[in-house]
Amino acid sequence: MNKKKKIGGLRRLFEISIVIIIGCICAITRSAAAAAAKDDQFLLLLGVSPQDEDYYKGLLSSPSSTIKCKDGSFKFSTSQLNDDFCDCPDASDEPGTSACPNGKFYCKNAGHIPFSLYSSRVNDGICDCCDGSDEYDGKVKCPNTCWEAGKVARERLKTKIATYQQGVTVRNRLVEQAKLAIAKEEAELSKLKNEEKILKGLVEQLQERKEQIEKAEEKERLQKEKEDKERKEAEEANLKEKQNGEQVESSEADALKNDIHDKIGEQVESSEADALKNDIHDKIGLLGDSSSSQDVMDGHGDSESEAQHGEFDVKEESPIGDVKPLQEDSLLHATEKEEQLTVDGQPGLDTGNQAEVEEDNSESLSKEELGRLVASRWTGEKTEQQTEEVSSTKDKNHGTEEEDAYGEEYSSYDSEEDDHRYDNDDGDNEDQMDDFGGEDHDDSSPSYKSETDDEPDLPAEPSWLEKIQKSVRRIFQAVTFFQTPVDKSEAARVRKEYDESSAKLSKLQSRISSLKQKLKHDFGPEKEFYSFYGQCFENKQNKYVYKICPFKQASQVEGHSTTRLGSWEKFEDSYKVMQFLNGDKCWNGPDRSLKVKLRCGLNNEVTDVDEPSRCEYMALVSTPALCVEEKLKELQDKLDMMNKEQPTSHDEL
Amino acid sequence: MKESPNLIFHVLFLLLLISPSVFSWKKDEFRNCNQTPFCKRARSRKPGACNLIATEVSISDDGDLIAKLITKTPENNESQDPPVEVDSKPLLLTISVYQDGILRLKIDEDQSLNPPKKRFEVPDVIVDEFLSKKLYLQRISEEKIDNDLGFSSVVYLDGDYEGVLRHDPFEVFVRERGNGKRVLSINSNGLFDFEQLREKKEGDDWEERFRSHTDTRPYGPQSISFDVSFFGADIVSGIPEHATSLALKPTSGPGVEDGFSEPYRLFNLDVFEYLHESPFGLYGSIPFMFSHGKARGSSGFFWLNAAEMQIDVFGTGWNAGQDKIMMPVDEKRIDTLWMSEAGVVDAFFFVGPRPKDVIRQYTSVTGRPAMPQLFATAYHQCRWNYRDEEDVFGVDSKFDEHDIPYDVLWLDIEHTDGKRYFTWDKVLFPNPEEMQNKLAAKGRHMVTIVDPHIKRDDNYYIHKEASDNGYYVKDASNRDFDGWCWPGSSSYVDVVNPDIRSWWADKFSYGNYVGSTPSLYIWNDMNEPSVFNGPEVTMPRDALHFGGTEHRELHNAYGYYFHMATSNGLVKRENGKDRPFVLSRAFFPGTQRYGAVWTGDNTAEWDHLRVSVPMLLTLGLTGISFSGADVGGFFGNPEPDLLVRWYQLGAYYPFFRAHAHQDTKRREPWLFGERNTQLIREAIHTRYMFLPYFYTLFREANVTGTPVIRPLWMEFPADEETFSNDEAFMVGNGLLVQGVYTERAKHVSVYLPGDQSWYDLRNGATYKGGKRHKFEALEDSVPAFQRAGTIIPRKDRFRRSSTQMDKDPYTLVIALNSSKEAEGELYIDDGKSFNFENGAYIHRHFKFSNGKLTSSNAAPSGAGGNKFSLDCTVERIILLGLSPAPKSALIEPANQKVGIEMGPLTIRPGKSPSFATIRKPNVRIADNWTIKIL
Repeated sequence: MNKKKKIGGLRRLFEISIVIIIGCICAITRSAAAAAAKDDQFLLLLGVSPQDEDYYKGLLSSPSSTIKCKDGSFKFSTSQLNDDFCDCPDASDEPGTSACPNGKFYCKNAGHIPFSLYSSRVNDGICDCCDGSDEYDGKVKCPNTCWEAGKVARERLKTKIATYQQGVTVRNRLVEQAKLAIAKEEAELSKLKNEEKILKGLVEQLQERKEQIEKAEEKERLQKEKEDKERKEAEEANLKEKQNGEQVESSEADALKNDIHDKIGEQVESSEADALKNDIHDKIGLLGDSSSSQDVMDGHGDSESEAQHGEFDVKEESPIGDVKPLQEDSLLHATEKEEQLTVDGQPGLDTGNQAEVEEDNSESLSKEELGRLVASRWTGEKTEQQTEEVSSTKDKNHGTEEEDAYGEEYSSYDSEEDDHRYDNDDGDNEDQMDDFGGEDHDDSSPSYKSETDDEPDLPAEPSWLEKIQKSVRRIFQAVTFFQTPVDKSEAARVRKEYDESSAKLSKLQSRISSLKQKLKHDFGPEKEFYSFYGQCFENKQNKYVYKICPFKQASQVEGHSTTRLGSWEKFEDSYKVMQFLNGDKCWNGPDRSLKVKLRCGLNNEVTDVDEPSRCEYMALVSTPALCVEEKLKELQDKLDMMNKEQPTSHDEL
Repeated sequence: MKESPNLIFHVLFLLLLISPSVFSWKKDEFRNCNQTPFCKRARSRKPGACNLIATEVSISDDGDLIAKLITKTPENNESQDPPVEVDSKPLLLTISVYQDGILRLKIDEDQSLNPPKKRFEVPDVIVDEFLSKKLYLQRISEEKIDNDLGFSSVVYLDGDYEGVLRHDPFEVFVRERGNGKRVLSINSNGLFDFEQLREKKEGDDWEERFRSHTDTRPYGPQSISFDVSFFGADIVSGIPEHATSLALKPTSGPGVEDGFSEPYRLFNLDVFEYLHESPFGLYGSIPFMFSHGKARGSSGFFWLNAAEMQIDVFGTGWNAGQDKIMMPVDEKRIDTLWMSEAGVVDAFFFVGPRPKDVIRQYTSVTGRPAMPQLFATAYHQCRWNYRDEEDVFGVDSKFDEHDIPYDVLWLDIEHTDGKRYFTWDKVLFPNPEEMQNKLAAKGRHMVTIVDPHIKRDDNYYIHKEASDNGYYVKDASNRDFDGWCWPGSSSYVDVVNPDIRSWWADKFSYGNYVGSTPSLYIWNDMNEPSVFNGPEVTMPRDALHFGGTEHRELHNAYGYYFHMATSNGLVKRENGKDRPFVLSRAFFPGTQRYGAVWTGDNTAEWDHLRVSVPMLLTLGLTGISFSGADVGGFFGNPEPDLLVRWYQLGAYYPFFRAHAHQDTKRREPWLFGERNTQLIREAIHTRYMFLPYFYTLFREANVTGTPVIRPLWMEFPADEETFSNDEAFMVGNGLLVQGVYTERAKHVSVYLPGDQSWYDLRNGATYKGGKRHKFEALEDSVPAFQRAGTIIPRKDRFRRSSTQMDKDPYTLVIALNSSKEAEGELYIDDGKSFNFENGAYIHRHFKFSNGKLTSSNAAPSGAGGNKFSLDCTVERIILLGLSPAPKSALIEPANQKVGIEMGPLTIRPGKSPSFATIRKPNVRIADNWTIKIL
């Protein structure tokens, strides 16, 4: 190669050095400039990328020609191109040397991938380009390893392409399925919304009916009481009369009784019962008309969401653990408070005694306790949990107790929130729903959890609503007028029907709510992440199990203790990263968080979890969702190029 | 909603986080002066309380002045009962004089009178070379001073100075010969006090209790205190380590600021989250005070004593109303009070008169700073902790990916197997040698931490050897002292014993330290020593060292001996062929001979960035030139603005290392967005660009003691404006750097001293000296200026690390002064071996005058047999202040013409003003040549 000639020339100049010739770069380039024209060409365009060849063309025609630096700041001539002196602050005159600090050196790397190096790597004695072209001053000899390296890289690339090819298919299927599923769910949602309206109407009627019955029953009861009282009085009077004249009195009392009976019967029958009857008939007539009675839905937040939450409290299993009794709650808070306060050595609550001791009576500590205590200022470790080692080598080993507390505390949030909902749910239902959805995808909220695990137990066949309608109709048909006294079995029927219908309504509503929640999510530009919904990916590393549930939350589980690494935040970096934020707080550190880097793979799988910075976790997840067609093309192009640029004879050097 | 139950805690927690220093410094855990009997006693004494007089003055066989200090018996009162006779035995006073005008004063008990114990004198601090510079006194002249009845003894000092021992009242001072002006003195205020050792009598309670700790004090009170006066001084400085201003604020008398009512404490302590404005003692102690004044210049006072010391600086007028019997009334001076718990008086008076003279004199006693390896002067990347090999490689490759150079990657305590130093965590670091070699292939080095506490684990070979051989410090009952530190129960190597130091040094051989390679260097932390369950987080004072010395007597020197032993270990492992690099947190006079220090666990706050400058300047004044503060702040998370400003300033620290606590967020340079990455890259590049200049300055320190970074007044001793300035500093004599110490600063006010102008490093603009200028606070650098009249060598090519820069060509920047002249120097050697000590180096002197740049050899002829040769050339010479720009220049003797073009001051993208630049002179840096401007 040309290099050898250069070195030979140098050897004559510096005969002193025997093995390696150390010369300054400028001496080399100068001697090279004096060499053959072919050498010139080689040297002039040293480090120039193919895209830039046009830019330098003007300089190759004659030695006296000049061009402007790319940034337009200065001009430089052919002799200044790669003359190892920086004339252009943007490095455009020195593509092949280290003279400009901002330059890039292009290595062709025939047989492998071409690469642009920082100019700081040129002639620094370290082989960076696999073709060795970055080290040309003779200080080191860099063998051309492009063939071998390229082979490995090509193999790797081929494997990657294969994965992508399969992955793309899987992904396409996923996308198709997602689109269908979403369409289905959207349809279901609108259908459910209609059904909800209707059912709500029915429930209202039943409620009214029920109330009427109850009212009637109440009246009846009052009447009965009154009668009883009157009877008693009458009896007492009779008793008296008996002494005076029994017969007269008794006939009077009977008359009164009849009178009352008549009155009540008249009232109920004529005014109330009729009106109700008409109303019911009207409403039933509307069934099937899906676009109607928006107004009926309004103003029923209370019962709905109560029912909804009530139901989940009982039915749903929190993914974190069981809801803790309130009592334990406060205990946990105390623990947390203590923990936070001890950070700064302020006394906290119960375990905070320790901190107090630190402040005031470290006298009373044993030597070892004192040692641990002072050490804990730097390490943040809890002193009481120390056993053999004052601090174990891994940060992660920190306090299982602490983590326990967090895990429990987390679940305690749930119950608390439920309580809140019960208390405060006097607003408009729709608003409530919006709040809910807009609340940063708060996955810890119960309704959110619902849809993923257990779908509400809704009747499968479409006729269920009709059945209800029918039976309601039957009720109203059968009971066309009120009988007094209230028919016991009739009242029970209404009640039962009401209970069943409203239970169904709340199921329906929770299903609607969960569907709404689900469909609100960003499933990616092609909904390729739809299938992530409701899934959790797990990975075991030593004693920890990492659980990543997209759109929900991520956690680190060790035995029975769970540490929240974060709640779902969003996709980032054009859907290549999933971000989970606001996990459990770290001692003296940030809230835990997790970044999940996604990459193409055939299965959804956590391949690595790491904690690069204290309490900031990083996971790698492979998924077909990332196997994008464009990327596949890119890879194929790359492979084509690598194959094309293979040297004809690879053992040249 | 969800947050509400915890909101209060979160808010509270946040509040606590925002101002950690307010809450975290555990003031109560440390003794104040009132809780420290010797300090309380000394502080309560009144001027003139000393009733000693000097008698029996003579010249000893060793050529010293010797005398006895006896208690003055009240005249005509001989019949009275003698006063309390505790200190009545005569003390022995010795005055020795040395070359360069140094006077040494020793006062100790008279050994011939059989004191209960020999008081401790600190060994291995004074260098042998100094002892050989002793001048043997031939005669003592007698003289009456002021209106004294008796005589004073006067001895000649080197130069134009005299040492005076005033007999009655007893006083020692140094004065200028001829005019009799005093320079510095001891006991001029009559506060001298020396508690002699005595036998314990019945009823004596010598124990001292502090919190849960009891100090048995078996030898009873033995403190020493005295006053020292600095004449003609406008400021006093020195006595590190305190996080406070360069010019020491008064701690007693009028004008005492809040928080400064305690004396400056010298007691090496591991202080959790220290405050930035406090006289409180930190990790190291150097009982050397520097004074400077416009009237007379500089002087210095050094007390070689390793016990706890407390020093008061008196505010002017502190003794108003007191009898000023001994002081010349008209002289401006600063009085100070020095108090120590134990030891002897072994004090050195340095006469100056220029600041650089004082530092030369001081380092002639305690030794010059070691010449560091070149790599150690570059950028260091540290964190507690780079967790495993993968992390190490990840960080390493990220630096390359972002084209940011670095030279050293550090591993903190977690790399070990359970905090057993010299071992590796087998899971996290399974292949330490391979890891080091991988970095070494890129010219990079690694540092691991080795602390003095040894885990008490019978399966740990270091512990086994140390306990079997009795190498540990003992407790008061003579068992191995057992304290708590990182590994839990630990013992501490007794490095005061030279044999144990030698044993310790052997532990660094490649055979002993398995997994170490030649590119691995060492970090000594926790060597105050830090003992988590000890009194004041350190070792009990009644612990026992080699020779029965109590810990109280040598506490402040413990870390120094540990540093020494480690440093010697690194020299040993390469058979004296490789310069050691050891960073230490604790320090003592002489530390400069063994390695670098840093300012310990600072905090990511602007105030801590600000205080780093006076802290490092003070270290430089007291001999420790190679020092730095953790860039970014150890505790807490710096805002990007603070981090960037810290890098921009830290690039000019002599020791440039970023470090962070394990609980902080990651903060490697590329984690704060592209713009901040670029700014940090540029800051680090600036350091690499100036490496030839820094290395030359390290050599200057190595030869003369003059620190790498200097207070402005060291270069401009007559400019009073500079005396209290500690926000700016000089790097060598050629660069002035000022930090930006506030968030999102818009402007920075910079005082530029002297009568010559200054060239802005950012754009070459010139500014007049002797003026304060207001500059826009530019994002891309802190204000920095080249002084007119200087020539600064640079290397403008960037590499992965300093290692690859060795063959790169130089740039010379000539900043012309008003008479169109400038000069500068360049020192080069192989950057690692000791061959430079035998002359294997290049030392050039550059001078520009009469339109001609001359490079001449500045190395003394016959410096040694070894040669160092280098083929590097000069690729660029930038001329600032030359207009109109000439067209060409002639190189001689080659008689070759080169072009002069207009070029930027530093190469960076975008437009910048241009200056006359000699393009590719390509003269060899090692040769003599001249370049004549045509």
